[in-house]
Amino acid sequence: MMKVDVSEILAARGISKTFFDPTFGENVHALNEISLSIRAHEFVSVIGPSGCGKSTFLRIVAGLDRPTAGEIRVSGNKVTGPGADRGMVFQEYALLPWKTTQANVEFGLRLKGVARDERARVARRFIDLVGLAGFENKYPHQLSGGMRQRAAVARVLANNPTVLLMDEPFAAVDAMTRQRLQEELTVITATERTTVLFVTHAIDEAVFLSDRVVALSGRPGRIVEDIEIDLPRPRQWSELVRDPRFQHYRDLLTAKIERTGASAEAHS
Amino acid sequence: MTTLTRARWTPLAMTRNLGRELLPFAVGVAVWQVLSSLNIWPPVLFPSPLQVFQAFIADLGSGVLLTNLGVSLKSLGLGFLVGAAIAVPLGYLMGLNRASRDFFDPLVNLLQAIPGLAWIPFAILWFGLGQGAVTFIIVMSVFFPVLHNLLTGIRTVQPVLIEAVQTLGARRMDVITHVIFPATLPNLMTGIRLGIAFGFRSLVGGEMIASTDGIGYAIFNAQQYFQSARIVVGMLAIGITWLLMDRFILRPIEQRTTMRWGLMRDGLENT
Repeated sequence: MMKVDVSEILAARGISKTFFDPTFGENVHALNEISLSIRAHEFVSVIGPSGCGKSTFLRIVAGLDRPTAGEIRVSGNKVTGPGADRGMVFQEYALLPWKTTQANVEFGLRLKGVARDERARVARRFIDLVGLAGFENKYPHQLSGGMRQRAAVARVLANNPTVLLMDEPFAAVDAMTRQRLQEELTVITATERTTVLFVTHAIDEAVFLSDRVVALSGRPGRIVEDIEIDLPRPRQWSELVRDPRFQHYRDLLTAKIERTGASAEAHS
Repeated sequence: MTTLTRARWTPLAMTRNLGRELLPFAVGVAVWQVLSSLNIWPPVLFPSPLQVFQAFIADLGSGVLLTNLGVSLKSLGLGFLVGAAIAVPLGYLMGLNRASRDFFDPLVNLLQAIPGLAWIPFAILWFGLGQGAVTFIIVMSVFFPVLHNLLTGIRTVQPVLIEAVQTLGARRMDVITHVIFPATLPNLMTGIRLGIAFGFRSLVGGEMIASTDGIGYAIFNAQQYFQSARIVVGMLAIGITWLLMDRFILRPIEQRTTMRWGLMRDGLENT
């Protein structure tokens, strides 16, 4: 009998990806047999050296790319393309420039046909939640980078996805803003009990945010580490940096990635 | 930060804005006056502002100017509408569908190098002398810049915007209406501007050859009688008509859309 975990929200089974790179005129083996299971309300980060295919993996989960082999299931349903159950936050914010904050956050609900009053109410709640009250009628170009990313998070959360996908969402903002956004994200996902799959190359960030960190090797990416992060919540940078356990996780993952990343580079 | 600073509607500010807008024209007229006062060329080769103004009053009083302008604008308007009405749907079809792009692209490429005015002989054969022929030439001139710019717009839509709305549940039709249409608006506006500008060129050229009324014909006719001042009246009528269309139709559309969304700016001095 196969044991079925009822709380399993997302299941990746043997995901491999090979694609043709036109610049080098050769096939690239990006991902090798990635299997991963994410439970409800879990915050999981995927880290790895650049080029390890972590973003490709996230895009496959989102349904934006197709795996060469393997399958993704979300709440038991096989992923065949993008869908509202897997809302994604991108590094480039990707807000619609022609819509105000309010209209951007309402957008997913509008596509679902939710009534005007109801979606305005939901949008306002999430705009408040990410700290953008007062900026409802601003267009994206009138917001700072940090504010744009808050709006992008609110836009996906308002749509109530089964799993929130985040692709290096804080890589483009300055260091101070990044730490604030990270702290806010841990609070928001805790209150909303969001299931998150987060991709980053920053080990600190992954340890700070996550319940679990999955490390991929250099290309072709395969899972080389999968550890639970046993740190108290809510988390604050000011406290966590002094916590020896935080340093332990960070050093462990750094060593692991450096080793596998270096070996991958030696191969190529 | 905001690119759109809305002027306050106080009388003083309005006067100041109007002054700022009219200043370049005042300088232009002044230079023109100085040059003609130097009497380097005879008035028939270089009419003075006053002579042109007098010719303008005369043509306005006789009704000739407005009649010709009306005829020309009707051809231009109709030609533009027909040209754009074919170019815009075809542009979206070609931009969104590989098979139609592969089919139409070679044809469009072949035809777009042919100037609108090259169609004059056939336009006259098919429509006879008159505004029908002129309108046809304008259609052929408006079509390509509108299509070409629209295609550029579709090709430069950021893929991440499409992917983002797809993860919010957008289907193909939602992507087209909420992403592709607004994203292509800046290029569409450029296409429309160029389309109208090309349309004006063909209008004047077409009327000189293929018509017996309209502003282009009036310019051509004035030349036959050495009425230099009336030539300038016709030229300025075209320029001023374009300025008014830009100021009161195209700019307001852009200010409410592309400039408001931060997709287009007046210049780079504030960055």
